[in-house]
Amino acid sequence: MYIYIFWELFVGLGGSLDQNAVLEFVDSGRDLILAADSSASDVIRGIATECGVDFDEDLEALVIDHTSYAVSETEGDHTLIASDALIHSDVILGDKKIEAPILFRGTGHSVNPANSLVLKVLSASPSAYLANPKTKLSSPPSLTGSAISLVSIMQARNNARVLISGSLDLFSNRFSKSVVQKAGSKIKYEKSGNEQFVTEISKWVFHERGHLKAVNVSHRKVGEMTEPAMYRINDDLEYSVEIYEWSGTSWEPYVADDVQVQFYMMSPYVLKTLSNNQKGLYSTSFKVPDVYGVFQFKVEYQKLGYTSLRLAKQIPVRPFRHNEYERFITAAYPYYGASFSTMAAFFIFSIVYLYHK
Amino acid sequence: MARGRRSVALLALICALLLHSIAPASAAPIRPISDAHRSAAAELFAPIDGSYGSLEETYEALRTFQILGVEKSAELSHETCLSVAEKVGSSSTPAKDLFYALRITSILGCQIDSSTYDEVASRLHAVLKDANSLLEFYYSIGGLLSIKDQGHDVILSDADGTFHAIKALSQSDGRWRLDTNSAESSTFAAGIALESLAGVISLAGSEVDQSMIGVVKNDIVKLFGSIKSFDDGTLYFDEKHVDGSEYKGPLTTSASVVRGVSAFAAAASGNLNIPGDKILGLAKFFLSIGVPGTTKDFFNQIDSLVSIPLILSLPATVLSLTSKDQLKVEVTTVFGSAAPPLTVNLVQAYSSDSKDELQFDAENVVHYLDIAALKLDVGKYTFVFEVTLHDPDNVNIYATGGQNSIRAFITGLIKVDKAEIGILDSDAGSVESLQKLDLSKDNSVSLSANHLQKLRLSFVLTTPLGHTFKPHQVFLKLRHETKVEHIFILESSARQYKIVLDFLGLVGKFYYLSGKYELELTVGDAAMENSFIRALGHIELDLPEPPEKAARPPPLAADPLSKFGPKQEISHIFRAPEKRPPKELSLAFLGLTLLPFFGFLFGLTKLGVNLKNFPSSPVPAAFSILFHAGIAAVLLLYVLFWLKLDLFTTLKILGFLGPFLVFVGHRTLSYLASTSTKQKAA
Repeated sequence: MYIYIFWELFVGLGGSLDQNAVLEFVDSGRDLILAADSSASDVIRGIATECGVDFDEDLEALVIDHTSYAVSETEGDHTLIASDALIHSDVILGDKKIEAPILFRGTGHSVNPANSLVLKVLSASPSAYLANPKTKLSSPPSLTGSAISLVSIMQARNNARVLISGSLDLFSNRFSKSVVQKAGSKIKYEKSGNEQFVTEISKWVFHERGHLKAVNVSHRKVGEMTEPAMYRINDDLEYSVEIYEWSGTSWEPYVADDVQVQFYMMSPYVLKTLSNNQKGLYSTSFKVPDVYGVFQFKVEYQKLGYTSLRLAKQIPVRPFRHNEYERFITAAYPYYGASFSTMAAFFIFSIVYLYHK
Repeated sequence: MARGRRSVALLALICALLLHSIAPASAAPIRPISDAHRSAAAELFAPIDGSYGSLEETYEALRTFQILGVEKSAELSHETCLSVAEKVGSSSTPAKDLFYALRITSILGCQIDSSTYDEVASRLHAVLKDANSLLEFYYSIGGLLSIKDQGHDVILSDADGTFHAIKALSQSDGRWRLDTNSAESSTFAAGIALESLAGVISLAGSEVDQSMIGVVKNDIVKLFGSIKSFDDGTLYFDEKHVDGSEYKGPLTTSASVVRGVSAFAAAASGNLNIPGDKILGLAKFFLSIGVPGTTKDFFNQIDSLVSIPLILSLPATVLSLTSKDQLKVEVTTVFGSAAPPLTVNLVQAYSSDSKDELQFDAENVVHYLDIAALKLDVGKYTFVFEVTLHDPDNVNIYATGGQNSIRAFITGLIKVDKAEIGILDSDAGSVESLQKLDLSKDNSVSLSANHLQKLRLSFVLTTPLGHTFKPHQVFLKLRHETKVEHIFILESSARQYKIVLDFLGLVGKFYYLSGKYELELTVGDAAMENSFIRALGHIELDLPEPPEKAARPPPLAADPLSKFGPKQEISHIFRAPEKRPPKELSLAFLGLTLLPFFGFLFGLTKLGVNLKNFPSSPVPAAFSILFHAGIAAVLLLYVLFWLKLDLFTTLKILGFLGPFLVFVGHRTLSYLASTSTKQKAA
């Protein structure tokens, strides 16, 4: 169901796990945790690149931060980073704020700006840089500052979730249980934020949070119960959909105020926010535009950390029939009057003309 | 996990905790087993439903607790004893379970009567007799040994024969095969074999052939020849081929070898001649793992550490000159207990940057050394220590491993001075205006330059001892309004850090982007306690227009969060209805259109209309009435058409009315025509 790839392990596995196999795994909608150290192989890099994450070319490079490292009596090279630059999302990291900084040691990566599916979850501080701590820097490092992502997530279009971390130690017991104090800060935490971070984010990766489903999509004319096969322009209609979120054990009603429906033909004609009844039922009503053609009811719901919902339902819209137009127009009364008086006059004239003597 | 729709079988679930915990930790300094281990052990080996699981797991838990001195509950011990006694008593228990059961008995001191022991011993003897695989030897000999340890008399009658049988499985390179049929030999098996051989020697009634023991000792030396190492002197055993199905990982393999070798060394008289640094290297390996995450690893780590040596460790390898830290050295056994009286010498300390060596031979009986007295400057150092035991008797018990080198950082506050920034004119190179900067806080200088000028930034970094300091990270970052960043490394020259940015040569790199650039200076080093990132201000650059073929600036990274969140609502704009005149006006015009009709009626009355020409005879009169009724019907149909009928109904009715009207019209008109002709004729 899921693969964890903690890199070093596969050094010796040669061939039993190749890039395509892993990518197929993700393509089939399943989840992946990819943790690589600085010695990540081409396979890992390849998988990461496919996920929109680029690891540095230099195998020896580590994230170094001389201003927000974790104070330690035994680790002096400032590659043990204490970072608290987390993404703000309750659904990804849980409701409870992660107070303690997160310990990280490993390589950094950059997020491909062209890929809109990948997000930085844990970023480095502005003073961080990616370099080999053992050698003198001769050229500017390829990655510096907040552009360095320490942990990234990717949610593919098929809702498969991938976590990419440049540090294997991040997941270790040693890091989760260690006392952490960020350089320059007086506060000493008894326990690093790693355990909470890893637990919460793996819940997210494994779809225990932020997984939505939409059911009972329906639409009807106002005041009617059944779903029509077609609407006429200017009809008033109601649209409703039920949305539920997976809580790990059951489907709970999803409550939000930003679900929107589009009435769409080539471009949205109507885009309206749905109101909900706090029990998962979202509904709205609007007037069908005065343009006929084949429309779609579209819900494209994308929210940070949630699986995206894409619902589309096709429905044709027809113009007025010939007898559905307005018939008695006041402005036309002079014309009516003229023609009917002429008709009456003709009738009288025909009698007078024929029988007058 | 519990999603049914993802019921596809697990492709691979692999935990690399073991391997992963080794490599990174190898760089970290070694610390003895501590209370953290004890609490972790109590957590890991927590009994589930009053038992530790299988006999093997129970043994591992109890043995770990025994070594670490963790208290176990008396009730649990009692229950374990009962279940173990039952296992031992049962005649169907396999040798493996007997082995573990007997070992548990010896740890817990369970009461088992001697007749049971006799019976078990005879059963184990029987297993031993038919044994042809290493594990059978191992379990039966180990079981017998445990019985012997309980104070029960067990004698191996054919000790030499068993010894030979086990030895027959050995390979020339010191490794062993698991059984006679197996072609694969492993280091792990070597450990098992050595432990079995040690058992044979202890159980032998008479002396085992010394020459055979000599051969095995030779094998051990060969085995140590295949030991693997990390850069920092950590040693471990691993299989030659790591892809075999029997592969156990370096921890299990090393633990097996260490157990085997130490058991053999204890059983066989005479020295094994294993150098102290090898033993120390192995101890480092086990300790470098830290606190393992699984019970098996934990047991292997703790159990194999029992036998070994002294380690030297620095509780702190980051020493601050500012807070006048002391260089503190701890020498303890691997379990953290105090070492016998000894001397620690700091032999040498060299900086990894400058390579200049500082020699020391100051003897310090106390394991403290004031670093200020060493006159060491900030930087990365490697300290070399030597441990000398005072009591010569202890030399055989403790391994000290000769010289220990430990890497440490000495940190301090770096003085930042003479920071200046300014714009130079290219041709003259003269200093137009240099502004002083205070790098202890953010600055906000505002400069402006064109592409013919240069930006100059310089400052001096000095260590507490007054030397020039060369940090690892000295970056000047220029960030354009459009978030395009350029990073420059500052080089040190003539005791100061200086950078001169010649914009003429950089216009291409800057993508000809004129405008405001933020300046940011980052200086940082592992040895620098006051590493900083400072905003310096901004520079307004006036660069020429880009030529045709100039590189475009990289596209701006779109905010990945921008796709989230609700969009702007769209509501359809309906076609506006046509403009219509007010109702009153329409009605007024309706009145106007009706006027001619009334005028017509009025005219008719004025003319004195009569209907004298209407046919008097009944048939033509009837036709005339029908004719006019027909016309009225057609007109009425038109009214109805307007009011409610549609075109088809109207035409249908008209289809009937039309011929009727033609017929009656013809009759009426022809009658009228004939009467008027008659009148004219008359």
